[in-house]
Amino acid sequence: MATFTVGAPICTKPTTCSLKQAQGPSRLSSLRLISLPINSKNFPSLRSSKMPPRLQVFCAAKAETVSKVCEIVKKQLALPDDSEVTGESKFAALGADSLDTVEIVMGLEEEFGISVEEESAQSILTVQDAADLIEKLIEKK
Amino acid sequence: MNLLWRTVRIPMNTFCLHRTFAASALHLAPVQLPSRAESHLWYLVPDEVKSVSLLGQYSEILSPCENEYVACIRGEQLKKTALLARVLVRTTIARYQTDGYIDPRSLKFRKNIHGKPELEWDNDDSGSRPPVQFNISHTASLIACGVTSSSPIGVDIEKKDRKIQNNIISFARRYFTPNEVERLSSISDLNVQRQHFLKLWTLKEAYVKALGKGISALPFSTFTIKSRNFEKKELNGSGDSDPEITVESVDGQRSLLSNWQFTLLELAGTHFAAVCVARDGSMGGKNMFNFGLGYGKHFTGLKSILTVSDKCFTPKKLTVMKTIPFVGDESMSGTDAAIVCGF
Repeated sequence: MATFTVGAPICTKPTTCSLKQAQGPSRLSSLRLISLPINSKNFPSLRSSKMPPRLQVFCAAKAETVSKVCEIVKKQLALPDDSEVTGESKFAALGADSLDTVEIVMGLEEEFGISVEEESAQSILTVQDAADLIEKLIEKK
Repeated sequence: MNLLWRTVRIPMNTFCLHRTFAASALHLAPVQLPSRAESHLWYLVPDEVKSVSLLGQYSEILSPCENEYVACIRGEQLKKTALLARVLVRTTIARYQTDGYIDPRSLKFRKNIHGKPELEWDNDDSGSRPPVQFNISHTASLIACGVTSSSPIGVDIEKKDRKIQNNIISFARRYFTPNEVERLSSISDLNVQRQHFLKLWTLKEAYVKALGKGISALPFSTFTIKSRNFEKKELNGSGDSDPEITVESVDGQRSLLSNWQFTLLELAGTHFAAVCVARDGSMGGKNMFNFGLGYGKHFTGLKSILTVSDKCFTPKKLTVMKTIPFVGDESMSGTDAAIVCGF
């Protein structure tokens, strides 16, 4: 999952980034990459300018968060690396029982430096739910 | 539906010998409701259900919704467990018929506000509905369903050799109570500590499930589960081999929690199983109550133990049955497959 930094040449698929501001829970489950033929010679002004910080964080963090959650879930449930776990994956359908879910939440707490109250755990049904909650808690910090 | 059964091969060391079935229809043998002094624990070993045709029959018992859910599950083993769990619940409940045959397909379920499955009856079913309470728990290799006739019940099982990904003491500090952390920390053998952790987890889960709540509604840090026997041993060096397991809330309101009875078993040699039921409270003036349980090879019949309070509670006897729906049952109480374990 690539983040992009302005000022460097980027080799990416030529798709456009979704620049929509998310309203409420986002359903982004994959990062769309920006193709920016940036060359400091042709666009000198971009060398020092930055993308609006909020947008930059939004595009990268969501997908990266989902990715990290997927990683932690795969590890807890001992799923092979190539098994399909995405934002839409439901914990229960992946075979997670209550102890797995709590272990995963604890893993997420340690990974992201957050604290998830048990009451919130009930609303975590999918990987995306977990990622969204993490984002919310990080924002609050 | 007419069926022609081929020989069903069942592993000899766990069940009956080879059988040949020429049944004309799937038949569920009725079972008597547990009395107020009893609970039933049914369990099924998925690996022992190999017949493809039987699994096909099982799918036909599930509701369309349940079949859809099973279809969504990834992985054959997980799919099978999900199917068998629902089959176990439907067929088990249907067997407690008080007024004529109940088609397991006709049972309806709903979830309470915290997600605990419950039976749902139409108004016109009042004549034939068995007054059962149930709770189910499963791992990939075992499915267990506890049943009572009126008391709330919670069941939880975990594989004995389950590994914990996180550090056990860190996990306990995060989710359990200080008393429980202290007890865990006092165990120097890491394997024994891991097993104690699992037993504690199943007991806590069984409790919140009996309450119909789940961990979100009743965080595990709000109540302590401990062994009265362990405390007695610590204080004066004595104590029987039965762990009397109690629950108390962290804020000190013990009296509210003395009406829950716990049983902790080693089930099928592979799992820890915790069963939590509401006691039958009866004011009697006596200070003793009696226990009736299978103790592996050492079944001692009734045994007297001191009460937890001045109320006289009638403890529930737990009967353990292994089953394969439509195939047969085997009583496991008093065998090595259902051993009350220390805590």
